[in-house]
Amino acid sequence: MKLGSYLKDRVPAYIMEALATIIVVVFLVAFRIQSQIIVLVLIVEFIAWISTELWEWSRKRKFYAELETKLEELERKYLVMEVMEEPDFLEGKLLYAALKETDKSMAEAVSEEHRQNKEFREFIELWVHEVKLPLSSLRLMCHNHPGMEEKFLMQIKRIEDYVDNVLYYARSDSSEQDYVIKEVSLHKIASAVIMRNREVLQLIDAELHIKDLDLTVLTDGKWLEYILNQLLSNTLKYKDENRGLKIEIHAEDHEQSSALVFHDNGRGIPSSDLPYIFEKSFTGTNGRTISGSTGMGLYIVKQMCNRLGADIVCTSVEQEFTEFKITFPKHDFLKMQ
Amino acid sequence: MKTIQIIEDDKSLREELSILLKHAGYDVVMVEHFSDVYRQMTETTCDLILLDISLPEENGELLLQKYRRKHDTPVIMLTSRSSEMDEVISLSYGANDYITKPYHPTILLLRIAEILKRKDSPSKINMYQDIQVNLLKGTLSRDRQEEILTKNEMIIFQMLLEHQGEIVQREVLMTALWNNDEFLNDNALSVNVSRLRAKLGSFGLSDAIETRKKLGYLLK
Repeated sequence: MKLGSYLKDRVPAYIMEALATIIVVVFLVAFRIQSQIIVLVLIVEFIAWISTELWEWSRKRKFYAELETKLEELERKYLVMEVMEEPDFLEGKLLYAALKETDKSMAEAVSEEHRQNKEFREFIELWVHEVKLPLSSLRLMCHNHPGMEEKFLMQIKRIEDYVDNVLYYARSDSSEQDYVIKEVSLHKIASAVIMRNREVLQLIDAELHIKDLDLTVLTDGKWLEYILNQLLSNTLKYKDENRGLKIEIHAEDHEQSSALVFHDNGRGIPSSDLPYIFEKSFTGTNGRTISGSTGMGLYIVKQMCNRLGADIVCTSVEQEFTEFKITFPKHDFLKMQ
Repeated sequence: MKTIQIIEDDKSLREELSILLKHAGYDVVMVEHFSDVYRQMTETTCDLILLDISLPEENGELLLQKYRRKHDTPVIMLTSRSSEMDEVISLSYGANDYITKPYHPTILLLRIAEILKRKDSPSKINMYQDIQVNLLKGTLSRDRQEEILTKNEMIIFQMLLEHQGEIVQREVLMTALWNNDEFLNDNALSVNVSRLRAKLGSFGLSDAIETRKKLGYLLK
């Protein structure tokens, strides 16, 4: 609270006071009081007035200045009243009481929302685990009763991928930390993902080049597996029908970081779409023309990379290739634990 | 015949699993009542246990922990929970493998076979007719003659040898190769089989591997 703006706020009071003083002076003159006494009265009144104003301004200023800085510092601003002391002037007290009340109800609403969110997430996790049981049964049935199974398996794989999307979307969005960072072999992850997609890859007779993957990174293995699976299922979705599919996965080891590179010879991404592929609900030209894309896959991938502290970038040339590169920083202090 | 015990509370899954395992030539014992799983687990003699993590009465991880204190029968954990933490816990409690649902039947069978093989064949040398198959060296030999097989050729030959006299489907061979991180495509498999044939040919066994159109290969 600046002195200038405080004074401005008080202008009507000053006008009243000035008017009152003028009237008093007029009376005093009319009663023929000595001019020295009039001056004395004016001086006393002026001093009293100035000091009252200064005192008023300074105690308010103290409270509001504190309020402003604390608001600035706090991340959750609605909790500001929890860190303030109660002021000693009436308006301040009223404001303090009102805001305290607001805060309380806000905090309650937020925690209720949190609780519901958590419950919902737990339900999703549970649901996903439950739905995997019939999916497993279906897979086994396909195997136990051969004939037609390729078609069924394709559809089962699709359902599995969609189910995984739900699970990891819930996980990536939540504020709770439910991942475990440890040393993970890129080779192991890549093999697991390829094995998960084995049927489709063998059916379309894809050419796979898995090389230089003998590298470990610090991350959550299951999350990375999901990320890679997402990239692979995009590759399968957007392959170029005119040529055989070639997929190359390799790793790069740098001083400060390691990277996993996923390269395919699919139809590529138009350069006008490229900057937006990681945005939520973005479907792009390929998504609209080829298959019902929800625009969630790469968004979830990006979110998960962010939470894992990894960086993902995409380069692509239309009709030629698409390449994703996931970079993991090296943290020596983590390794020592 | 090897016996496998299935501890899985989802009925249809349990039954399909038992069909799968029986087709693959295993004996199957199933736990059907889940009030005292631990007692049933310890009283049944078997060669391998498939254990689900989320059981109605007890938690599979705790069961495993308790079981491991006295028994060393291999245990494969089956679970629909797919977090890194669950895997770490299971393996630290002594699981021999950890497979997340929905699993692929062929892979499950391969993993089971691997664990059983590890358990009871310390010798790494097999015989095919009068040829020595040395898995560690990756060679075929007879008297002084020796042929070196590549990793791929050895995996293929081993699969055929294990099922000697039966047709081994291309798909099964591919899965075995892929399971060993050799991601061959269809064409490359044919190339590898014909190289293997040529190497067997140098022992005078050039027609040992028969091709069955649309089915697979057969080692006589």
